[in-house]
Amino acid sequence: MLRYFLLSLGAQFRRERALTALTVLGVALGVASVSSIQIINLNAIGAFKAGLDAISGDADLSVVGVGPAFDERLYPRVLQTAGVHAAWPLFRLPVTMAGRADYFMEVLGVDLFSPQDLPWKGARAESVAPLSTPGWTAVSPQLAQAWGWSRGSKFDVTSGSRRATLTVGGIVDFSRRSPQASRKILVMDIAQAQELFDGAGRLHEIDVQVAKGADVPQVAAALRRALGPGVSVLTPGQRQEAAEGLLSAFQLNLTALSMISLFVGLFLVFASAQASLLRRRGEFGVLRSLGATGSQLLALLLAQTAALGGLGIAIGLPLGYLGARLNMDTVSATVSNLYLLNEIETLRLTPGLFLSAVGIGLAGVLLGAALPLWEILRLQPLELLSITTLHEKLAAWARPFARAGIAVLTLTLAWYFAAGRAWAPSGFVLAVALILFLISAVPWLVRAVYGRLPLRAFDWRYSFKNLELRLQTSAPAIAAMVVAVCMLTGITFMIQSFRKTIEVWARKSIQADVYISTESWLQGRAQAGLDDALVRDLETRPEARAVDEQRYLFAQYQGHRVAVSGVRIGLPGAEARFPLVASDAKALDVFARERRGVMIGEPFARRSGVKPGGTLTLDGPEGPVALTVAGVYRDYATDWGTGVMDIDAMARAFGPGPLNNLALYLKPGVDAEAEVDRLKERYAGKPLVIRSNALLLQEVFRIFDQTFAVTRLLQAMSLTVAAFGISLTLLILARERAAETALYRSLGATRRQIFFFFLGKGFGMLLMGLALGVGGGVALALILIDAINPAYFGWTIPMSWPWRELAGQALTLTLAALAGGAYPALVASRTPAQELSRDEL
Amino acid sequence: MLSFRGVSKIYRSSEGAERWALKDVSFDVESGRRVSIIGRSGSGKSTLLHLAAGLDVPSRGEVLLDGRNISSLGDEERTLLRRRRLGLVFQFFHLLPHLSVIDNVALPGFIAHDAPAELAARALRLLARVGLEDRARDPVQKLSGGEMQRVAICRALLAKPALLLADEPTGNLDDANGLLILDLLLEVTREEGAALIFVTHSRELAARADAVWELHSGILAR
Repeated sequence: MLRYFLLSLGAQFRRERALTALTVLGVALGVASVSSIQIINLNAIGAFKAGLDAISGDADLSVVGVGPAFDERLYPRVLQTAGVHAAWPLFRLPVTMAGRADYFMEVLGVDLFSPQDLPWKGARAESVAPLSTPGWTAVSPQLAQAWGWSRGSKFDVTSGSRRATLTVGGIVDFSRRSPQASRKILVMDIAQAQELFDGAGRLHEIDVQVAKGADVPQVAAALRRALGPGVSVLTPGQRQEAAEGLLSAFQLNLTALSMISLFVGLFLVFASAQASLLRRRGEFGVLRSLGATGSQLLALLLAQTAALGGLGIAIGLPLGYLGARLNMDTVSATVSNLYLLNEIETLRLTPGLFLSAVGIGLAGVLLGAALPLWEILRLQPLELLSITTLHEKLAAWARPFARAGIAVLTLTLAWYFAAGRAWAPSGFVLAVALILFLISAVPWLVRAVYGRLPLRAFDWRYSFKNLELRLQTSAPAIAAMVVAVCMLTGITFMIQSFRKTIEVWARKSIQADVYISTESWLQGRAQAGLDDALVRDLETRPEARAVDEQRYLFAQYQGHRVAVSGVRIGLPGAEARFPLVASDAKALDVFARERRGVMIGEPFARRSGVKPGGTLTLDGPEGPVALTVAGVYRDYATDWGTGVMDIDAMARAFGPGPLNNLALYLKPGVDAEAEVDRLKERYAGKPLVIRSNALLLQEVFRIFDQTFAVTRLLQAMSLTVAAFGISLTLLILARERAAETALYRSLGATRRQIFFFFLGKGFGMLLMGLALGVGGGVALALILIDAINPAYFGWTIPMSWPWRELAGQALTLTLAALAGGAYPALVASRTPAQELSRDEL
Repeated sequence: MLSFRGVSKIYRSSEGAERWALKDVSFDVESGRRVSIIGRSGSGKSTLLHLAAGLDVPSRGEVLLDGRNISSLGDEERTLLRRRRLGLVFQFFHLLPHLSVIDNVALPGFIAHDAPAELAARALRLLARVGLEDRARDPVQKLSGGEMQRVAICRALLAKPALLLADEPTGNLDDANGLLILDLLLEVTREEGAALIFVTHSRELAARADAVWELHSGILAR
C-alpha cells in the first residue's frame, strides 16, 4: 500500500495541479497568517524579557520606582534588609540620538566596578577611564557598526531638553548573554549618568540577589516594609506579567484576526479536497473491489492529505516569518510608542512555534478534508464505481444547516445579553457565532435566491442558477468570500469609526496653536523634562496670549500603571479639551474652581470601576494619594489608565517634578507656522520638537494608521485568499463540469458564450459574497465596537459609516474576482464539444 | 444536405503512432432521408457523427453542409451553423438534472436567445407530440429512460434542424423501449422534414432506416 501511496500521490500532483495547489495554498496561507502573528506576539514579549535578562541577569527581585525614579538613599536600606545577598543600583533613561527623534536608545548607568558577576561585566574597563573620561560609554558592536563608531568616537544624545555628549569607551556584545536584548543600550558609570542627565540622587532600579536558602517572597515583603511607598518590589516573572498585561489586548486582537485568515484558508482546503476526492471515487471503488479495506483506504487518504498539509506547512512557515519580518518595524513602533516597551529588533523562532505551526497546518488540512473523506469512506464499492449521479448532500442539508446556524446565533445572542457580557471574551464568542451563521446560510441562500431565478436565456441568470448545481464546490468558495468581506467590512467600519472619533476628539483636545515637546518624549515620557530656563523663556513669548504646561508622571492603581497629566486647569476653555462622558456636578465644580480632584480616562474608569464623585487612591512616588474623581473623559491615547489634574495640585499631591511639554495659545493675528519657524530658529541646537496644531494632528493620525497597519495586512491576506478561492473554484468547476460545457457547445453555444457563462458564475459568487459579507460586516462592526472594544480597551466609539471606503473595496474585489475568473472562464471556453463522455451530467 | 468528400480522421499518440478513425469516407445524404450506420465499437461511428456535427474537423477531405464546406469554417461559424441546422441525440440522453423537462427542451433556445414566449410554446408543442406535456415541470430525474430520450429528441428538434444526428439513441434502453424510441425518432424527423443519420449496433433497428451503411475500421461500406 505504501508503493501505491507514493504512486497515487505523484499522479495527483501531475493530474490535479490546480486542486493540489489549492489545498497546499489554503494550508500555507492559514499557517502563514497564524504563525506571523504568533512570531510577532512572542517576540514582543521576548524583547522585553530579553531586556530583563540582559540588564538584570540573575537578579531574584527588582526594586522599581513608581515615578519612575526614586531616592538613591533607599539603596543602603535594600542592602540592610535581611535575606539580601547583593544588590546593585541602576540608572535607566531613554534617550534619542540628537536630531533623530525616531532613534531611541537606553542609557544604563551601572556600578561598573561592582565585584558582582553582572551582565555588563565585559563593559568594565581595566583602568579608571569610565570615571575619568566624560561621557564614557560602552556600546554593542551592532550599534557601533550602525553609526560607524570606534573607540573614542563621540556622539550626542538628548533626554528632554538636555543634551549630552558621550564617548565610545568600550564595545561589548551584550547579546551573548541574551540574544534578543536590545543593541541600543549605552552602559556607563552610574554617577556619570546621574550627573549628565540631571538625575543626581535618583535611581530607577535596584536589582537584588537573594541569599542562598532565603525565601524570595519573604525577602520581597521585607523590602516593601523597609522601603515604603513610591517603589514596587517585583520578581522578573511579575515584571514580565505586567508587560504581558499591557500588551494582552493588542496581542489578542492580532491573534483573533489571524484566526479569521486561518478560517478562510480552511475553506480552500475543504473545496479542493472535496473536488479531488469526488473525482477519484472511481479509483477508490477499484481499490475497494480489489480487496482494500476501509481502514486501508482511510490510512491512504489521511497520509495523502497529511502529505499535502506538510507541503503547505513547509511553504506557510517561511511565509509567516516573512510576514512577521515585514511587519516587525510597524508593530515594534506601536509596541514601543503606545505601550512603552522594548522595540522588537530581532525575530526568534522557538521549537514551540514550529510545533504549533505544524499542528495548525495538519489540523487545518484534516479538518478541511474531514467531511469529504467521511463521504467517500461511507460509500460501498459499487456505489463508488457507479456512473449514476452522486447525491448532492449539501443541497439536501442546506435548510437544516441554515437553521442550525440561526439557532447558534440566537442562543449566543441570548446568552450574551443575559449573562455573557460580563465575561471579557464574550465578544469573540459572538463574532464566531456570527461567522458560523453566515457560513451556514450560504448553501440555503444559493438555493433560495439563485435556484429560483427564472430561466429565459443563456445569460447571467443561467450562470447564477448554475451555482446551485455544484453546491459542494461553489458554497465553500462563496462562504470564504463572505467571511473575508465580513471581516474587511467590519474592520473598515471599526477603523473608520475609530478614526472619525479620534479626529473629533483630537480636534477638541488639541486646541493650542503651537506645541513644544522634546525628541525623547515618545519613549522618555515623565523623564523627558524641559529645563527651567527654557520654560521661563518660552512662557514669556510676546506672541503668546497664554501658555499651558504639561507635566507627566506615572503612578500605580492596584498594581497597574497609570499615567497622570498635570495641566493648567485655570486656562479659559481648559475643560473643553477633555470631552466628558460622565461627571459629578459637585466634584466638577470643585475641580474647575478650586482645581482639586482628578478626571480619569474612560478606559481607566471601566477597568477600575471608580465613578465620578468617588475617591481614587493612587500610589505615587511619595506614597498614596487620594483624589476625588470629578469626571470621566474620552481618552483614546492608550488603553490603560490615564488621569488629568491641575498641575499645581499635582505638585502638592505627588511632589515637584519637571515640565514635559508646553503649549502656546497665540495672540490673534499671529501665524502659527511662522511662530513655529521662529521658535525653531531661536532654539536651534536644542532637542525640541516644535509643531503647529496642524502638524501635531497629522502626527496623531500617523500613529493611528501605524497601529492598524498589521490589521490591514491580514485583511489583504484574507481577501487575496477569497478572490483566489473564487478563481480556483471556477477552475475546478470548469473541470468538473466539462461534460456539461461540452453539451452546451454541442447545442450551439459559442466559446464566447461559455466564457461569459463561467465569468457569470464567478460574478454570482462574488455578488453573494459581497451582499452577505457586507451585511455580516456591519453586524461584526457592532460587535467589535460595542462588545469587544469596551471589554478590552474601554473606549466609546460612535459608529461612522465609511461608504466611500466600502465602495472602493467592493470595486477592488469585483475587479479582482473578474480578473481572477478570466483564466478559468477561458479554460472552460476551450472545452472541446467531444468532451461529452459516459459520465453523467 | 450533408456530404462527405474523401474524409479521413487521423489521431496521433504522444509517441507519434497514427490511428485512422476514418479512412477516405465519402457519401451524400439528401434532405429528408433517414440513414443508419452500423459498426462495432471503435469502428469510427462517433467520429463520423462528430465530423458531421462540426464538433471536429477532418484530417483530410471535406464535410459539406448545404453545399458549404464546414471543415474550413472557424469554430464560431461551425457552432452557429450547428445551432441553426443540426440537432443531436445522445445515447446517454445528456439532460441537465438541475433543469426541468421543459427547460431541458428549451435549452438550445436559451443559447440562441430565442424569444421566451415562442420558445416555451414550441417546447410544449414538442413535448405534447411525444406525450410528455404533463411532465413539463417535472425534474428530469423522475423520468424513465425512455421518457428521458423522448425529451432529448424534443430538444434536438427545437430549432427545426435540417439534419438530426443520433449516436446510439436506443443504446441505453431495453429492446421494447428502444424500438419505440426509434420509431418515434423516424416519425418526428419525417414530420419536421429533417434528414436523420443514426448510429446503432442493432441490425434490426438499422433496417428501419431508408439506407443502412456499415463502418468497419473507419471504412464506410454502402
